[in-house]
Amino acid sequence: MASLSTSLFTAVQSLGAATGALQATNNNIANANTPGYTRQVAILQEATPTNDGSLSMGNGVVLEGFQSVRDELVQMRIQQETEAQSGANAQLSSMQQIQPTFTTSAQDIGTSMSAMFTSISSLSTNPNSPAAGQAVLTAGQNLVTAFNAASSTLTSQQAGLNSQVTQDVSQINQLTQQIAALNPKISELTSTGQNGGTLQDQQNQLVLSLSALTNVAITQTPNGITVTTGNGTPLVMGSQGFALHTANGSDGMTQVLDQNGTNITAPLTSGDLGGTIQMRDQTIPGLLGQLDTLANQFGSAMNAAQAKGFDQSGKAGQNLFTVPSTIAGSAAGISMAITDPSKIAASSDGTAGSSGNLANLSAVETTALPGGETPVSAYASLVYKVGSLTSNAAAESSATASSLLQLNDQLSSVSGVSIDQESANLITYQTAYQAAARVVSTIQSLFSITLSMGTAAAA
Amino acid sequence: MRVANMVPDIQYAMQQSQQALSTALQQVSTGLRVNQPSDDPSASANMVVSLAARAQVDRYTSSINSVTPLMQTADSALSSIVTSLNTAITNGTAGANGTETDANRQALATQLVSVLGSVISQANTSFQGIYVFGGSATTSPPFIAASSTYTSAKGAAGSPLATSTALTAGSVTTISDASTGDTMTFKAAAGDTVATLSTAIANAVAAGTLSAGTNATINAAGQLAIGTNSSTSGIVVNSNDATLGAMTATAGSGVPNAYAYVGNSSVNSVQVGDSTSIATSMSGGQLFGSGTNVIGSLNGLITALQSGTSQQIGTATSAVSTALNHLSQQRIPLDNAISQLSSQESYLGQETVTLTAQQSSLVGVTLADAATNLSQAELTNSAVLAAAAKVIPQTLLDFLK
Repeated sequence: MASLSTSLFTAVQSLGAATGALQATNNNIANANTPGYTRQVAILQEATPTNDGSLSMGNGVVLEGFQSVRDELVQMRIQQETEAQSGANAQLSSMQQIQPTFTTSAQDIGTSMSAMFTSISSLSTNPNSPAAGQAVLTAGQNLVTAFNAASSTLTSQQAGLNSQVTQDVSQINQLTQQIAALNPKISELTSTGQNGGTLQDQQNQLVLSLSALTNVAITQTPNGITVTTGNGTPLVMGSQGFALHTANGSDGMTQVLDQNGTNITAPLTSGDLGGTIQMRDQTIPGLLGQLDTLANQFGSAMNAAQAKGFDQSGKAGQNLFTVPSTIAGSAAGISMAITDPSKIAASSDGTAGSSGNLANLSAVETTALPGGETPVSAYASLVYKVGSLTSNAAAESSATASSLLQLNDQLSSVSGVSIDQESANLITYQTAYQAAARVVSTIQSLFSITLSMGTAAAA
Repeated sequence: MRVANMVPDIQYAMQQSQQALSTALQQVSTGLRVNQPSDDPSASANMVVSLAARAQVDRYTSSINSVTPLMQTADSALSSIVTSLNTAITNGTAGANGTETDANRQALATQLVSVLGSVISQANTSFQGIYVFGGSATTSPPFIAASSTYTSAKGAAGSPLATSTALTAGSVTTISDASTGDTMTFKAAAGDTVATLSTAIANAVAAGTLSAGTNATINAAGQLAIGTNSSTSGIVVNSNDATLGAMTATAGSGVPNAYAYVGNSSVNSVQVGDSTSIATSMSGGQLFGSGTNVIGSLNGLITALQSGTSQQIGTATSAVSTALNHLSQQRIPLDNAISQLSSQESYLGQETVTLTAQQSSLVGVTLADAATNLSQAELTNSAVLAAAAKVIPQTLLDFLK
């Protein structure tokens, strides 16, 4: 049977529930701008009713606990998108540093090449002029410098990326240790039916930071999350974090090894580390290869044209450029072989003053190299490749940024703190608290009346 | 959808609109749509090719500008020679008149000696150090006063050269004959001796390349002497054979009014179009050379005026006329080349315009487009900022006072 005491108990419980809900609201408002914070809601439940015969009476409300509002699927999509974005950003940043070298300027390879042919053309109008001969050598030197500088840009970029690999691996190891350390604490909480809450938010943030570095796969287990790289190399299992190692490969580049010493460099495809490795091992060597081929074949073609003629003293033309014997390293190694303008093999018949062979030198510009393209087309292809790699990386970065924004909006719509909503909750729970307090005060007055009933009778 | 926080979206929108604004601003300030390869990779690659094509056109134009004065100098030299030959024909015709006195003929001959000097000077015309009538040998005068004998620097009475003396393999000896206008070139092979050279000279005489009587002998001083054995025909000998040493004209062996052509028959040419080359030097041998030898015919007329009969003077005058006709024909390609240069220059001018238009459409942006883009970007940016200013400060708390 209902009693004032029961009602008072119900009202007090209601006060506690409202306080708890206010606390959750308070916490949400406090963390509204905390990265990775997931809003919490107070779990309120009806108390078990009291049955009195056929009468069932409600016993008020019970604060069951607090629940973080999560969407694991969206969280996972954000991780994947973060991997893609970091990978694209790593490539974009690197390509943006490479691109200026291949942008048309007074010193780029294309312009220097044209300038060299212009100087040869000038020489053909006056083959006896030492100044015109010197201009050819100067233009040749400028072209050599342009090749050397382009090669140096690419190799120094590659070296920078190589040291980035070591830094990334060190950050990954730090993060996996932190994630592993959180696993047992979260398992302990969840095994007792409690909300992982703050700890889980922290872990999610760490996993997100890890995703920015490399591609990872997350599996939920009773012992917490298991983190592996894209190819299945374990990084975190339960409370254990497996550190990655680095070692120098045969090409002098830093390789990434798992805890067993197996080389896992190639399968690392996204995240900053993946993007960095992709640039270092695929993109830059590709560009460098194209540049080296152009330098080597161009230098050799000029030398072959030079060999067809005779210099001012009637001797067979010697090499104009010193070209390395292998294609690799040609752009870095190419240099001028002659410094004396009289050694330019302008003459086609050994007569001083003949300019017949300059036509052969000029023809190199419009003759296909062994690669099938003219020097200008080969350079244009290289420019196209640099442009499209940069533009693709920029497009990928921009697309993933937009996609991430949408995913974050989606996550925020589930887990984010809305100040307006929390303000409304504040009013709701305040009102609830006030009402419950009024109930307590009412019961108190009823108790007083009840007690005074006895006193009045005595009086 | 529940919206918890609009700030990230607003920030993204601001970033995007500011980026668009910056791009539009760059387009207006540079006039270019493509400032780096990633702006349009395909246009950038085409631009590289187009710039190279433009550089090529510029270089053809520059070549035309360089060689045009040279060609005009050559043409003007030929024009002077034509005038000189006409003077010679006039003198010859006057001298052939049977009533002309010997003294008058001598005077006419003397005048022609000076005309010949002027012709030689024109034939040795150079433009900025380039001798235009020497074929591809443009570094030295192509016509040199001939001598009847040349002797080698090497060889002395004590250690004479002999017919069995071996020549340096690969060395080249040239004998240019003033009378025939031809040049004999002898390149020594391994095992060749002075005797081999001697035989080659005899063969050249037989072939008509060298004048009759030309031979190579070892003189009393032990030197190699190459001579015509004639007081009226001369040669110029050059050799880079170390065994012989430099060949020099023997003192006192000069042949009056005889000049040998020491250039060659090749020509230098300059490319002024993708498939257009213009010869910028001419072979003096071909212009004033064998058969219709301008210099030889003038020399012949001088000799005839000095000592010949009216008939001989008439014949010599006809020879000069024939030489003049030949020269006039040879001049046609030069005049054609000059007019070709001029038409090629205007073609290249059009090509420049076409390429400039192509480049502008590849990477450029019109001012109108750029300005429109800019004002559109400004408008969008203002709208985004205005929206942000309205949305960000607005919360429920503002209404709960």
